[in-house]
Amino acid sequence: MKNSVRILLSTAVALVCIGGPAVADPMRGGVVDVATIGEPPTLDPVSSTADLVGIISQHMFETLYTFDKNWAVTPLLAAAMPKVSADGTVYTIELRPGVTFHDGTAMTSKDVVASLQRWLKIGSRGKQVAANVVSIEPAGDLAVKITLKSAYAPLTAFLAFNNSAAIVIPAANNEDTLTKFVGTGPYMLKERKPDQYVQLVRFPGYASRAGDPDGYGGARKQYLDEIRFVPVPDANTRVEGAVAGQFGYVDSLPIESFARVKAGKDVPMMLKPFGWPMFVMNTKQGVLADLGLRKAIQAALAPEDMLTAAFGSKEFFAVEGSMYPKDYVWATDAGTDAYKPQGDTAAASALLKKANYDPSKPIRILTSRQYEFHYKMALVAQEYLKAAGFAVQLDVVEWATLIQRRADPALWDIYITHSPFLPEPALIGFMSDAAPGWWTSPAKTAAIGAFNTETDPAKRLKLWAEVQKVIYAEAPAFKVGNFNALAAKSPKLEGVAAAPWPYFWNAWLEK
Amino acid sequence: MTRVVVRRLLEMALVMAIVVTIVFVIVRIAPGDPAAMMLGPDATAKDVADLRARLGLDQSLPAQYGRYVWGLLHGDLGQSIFLARPVTQALWERAEPTFFLTLFSILIACGIALPVGILSAYRHGSVFDQITSTVAMFAASIPSFWLGLVLMQLFAVKLGWFQPSGYGGPGASLGERLNHLVLPACALGIVSSALIARFTRASMLDVLGDDYVRTARAKGMSEIRVVLLHAFKNALIPILTVIGLTAALLISGAIVTETVFGLPGVGSLVVSAVLRRDYPVIQGTLLVVAGLYVLINFIIDMLYLVVDPRVRY
Repeated sequence: MKNSVRILLSTAVALVCIGGPAVADPMRGGVVDVATIGEPPTLDPVSSTADLVGIISQHMFETLYTFDKNWAVTPLLAAAMPKVSADGTVYTIELRPGVTFHDGTAMTSKDVVASLQRWLKIGSRGKQVAANVVSIEPAGDLAVKITLKSAYAPLTAFLAFNNSAAIVIPAANNEDTLTKFVGTGPYMLKERKPDQYVQLVRFPGYASRAGDPDGYGGARKQYLDEIRFVPVPDANTRVEGAVAGQFGYVDSLPIESFARVKAGKDVPMMLKPFGWPMFVMNTKQGVLADLGLRKAIQAALAPEDMLTAAFGSKEFFAVEGSMYPKDYVWATDAGTDAYKPQGDTAAASALLKKANYDPSKPIRILTSRQYEFHYKMALVAQEYLKAAGFAVQLDVVEWATLIQRRADPALWDIYITHSPFLPEPALIGFMSDAAPGWWTSPAKTAAIGAFNTETDPAKRLKLWAEVQKVIYAEAPAFKVGNFNALAAKSPKLEGVAAAPWPYFWNAWLEK
Repeated sequence: MTRVVVRRLLEMALVMAIVVTIVFVIVRIAPGDPAAMMLGPDATAKDVADLRARLGLDQSLPAQYGRYVWGLLHGDLGQSIFLARPVTQALWERAEPTFFLTLFSILIACGIALPVGILSAYRHGSVFDQITSTVAMFAASIPSFWLGLVLMQLFAVKLGWFQPSGYGGPGASLGERLNHLVLPACALGIVSSALIARFTRASMLDVLGDDYVRTARAKGMSEIRVVLLHAFKNALIPILTVIGLTAALLISGAIVTETVFGLPGVGSLVVSAVLRRDYPVIQGTLLVVAGLYVLINFIIDMLYLVVDPRVRY
């Protein structure tokens, strides 16, 4: 008898262990407060490239395409991937039937055409595409046709991205400055109280895609009644909010607060890796218009020390020269020989001598303390550059001043910024000739031209390796490495994954 | 009297015109650009130039100034570039938290400072007096934002009695919103109490040795009546002045505390407007604050005339 009981108990324990903790079904209802880094400058994602605008507005507005969990383009408002003509210049996009806007009207090709034209006219990324667009026209009620001058493979990625986004809005609301925030997204705007909250509520008429959720794509479930984005500009206050469990989700926490957040009421969420800090060089004007000196900078900088100063523990960064980390399809080591984790002061000095550097012209590094890690990296870089023989002038300004000054090539030689890893390389800032840094060269034009016109995904991967080689050969920017991002969520909030632009459809609250 | 009032009103108008001009010029010559801030980090110079044109920022400074003044003459402080609403509406929405924060801070400051100041003066030179003087000096040296973080850590994070930040969500009751003000009001009130306590003590010391106080005691009046009804009443005028000045400073000066506690008040409005370069909001807020100061001064000047007819301007 005793043995039987023991066997029964053992079996029961084993079953519990194999099964793991019981996972409850998603629950409908509840409100989640999301602490963000501040008040969005606008709720119109066409007119801004700010990540915060994308994070909030992606719940209200949708694009024809989006990205799946592997960062591949996947349909959202489009019914399927586009039909592309053999020469890659004509895209026919079927639209999903039954999609309605928050005002109850049905989405048709007229709305899509008007929205895309607005995007080409006022969106920063739309303008990048516009030069190559011949026409956008309806092809029936539920299809649009985009005709290009020449093949442009990144088009669907541009149509999928969520900042400076090609959102679809009713043709009747199509103004340069949006006054009505009506989209097709799972949540709709109820109230915006600046510096207090942006209140989104469930859109009852939402037409979700069928199937399972898949990254930003797939089905979008509306479990939550409301999502409120609450601006908390002070980073310490966000940390205290996470420790106290005040919010459902807290975005953009300082990475060094990991241990403190872990000891608090919320659960820390690390996005590893999140992005890459970069030193953009002014290739148009000033001392760094000289390629030899840019190569000397590339040799002089010691990314490992810079990242250690910026992020502390190796748990929070990776010393990696590839423009994309290992998990991405775009990862390649092509050209990364020039990336020296410890720097190479002797090689930098030799390059500097060869380029006849004039020490009376200091390298002006433009940075700010808006992001403390930028400043910390600048301090370390300054010492390594001095050791190589450069004169260095650190111009520390606040963020708004930096954003303005970097537009003037006469005012800086290097400016420091960072970016999340973007799903498509063509979206990277300095890939555009017009981006501050103004990198243009025959080698760039040839490499990027081939990359952008190739429509075969496998061939594009190889062509991207060629682009990365040119980036290292011409040093328009110095990629310091990879770094992680920290957020925190309530233990009750489920269905939220760490993401560069966190989203809360598919999220629910446990009781 | 009428001539004085008219003259003072004309002087006020002149002061405000100077303020309008200085604020307009300072805001415009400061580096930074609202268009670049709105468009985000990946916008090109052309995008920024296009938006500047749409916002009218590409016009000459005199043209912009003329347009701004014309709007002011019609009671229009302008439209916020980022908040999608008129500046007057944005200011009105921020008035409530700032008003209650100021009120609570002053109540807390007075609740601490007046009894401590009176007792210190009454027990002049005692251990209590020396301890409170030292503590007051210490409190006056504490930055209110630091004290705020300490209070937040203790009462919001560890004990969970209050929310660390914010001003309540949609539909929050007045009680819930006021609950959010307790910690920032304590932070500001405790720091402000130091100054008021020192003024109270000094003012009370001045009057406690006066003849009428001695006379009151000689008449057999209880010490409480002597101190509170006779001495304190006469010591109150300089104390009221410092309380008034503290309140005025709090209205415009609680900027850091509002930012730390995420309170959507006038202070945080100015900070965010400066960081975003929201020119109309910066101009409008500074103009309203300056206008309030000018108006308060005008009222005080007029009260002098009423209270003391010997005063001449």
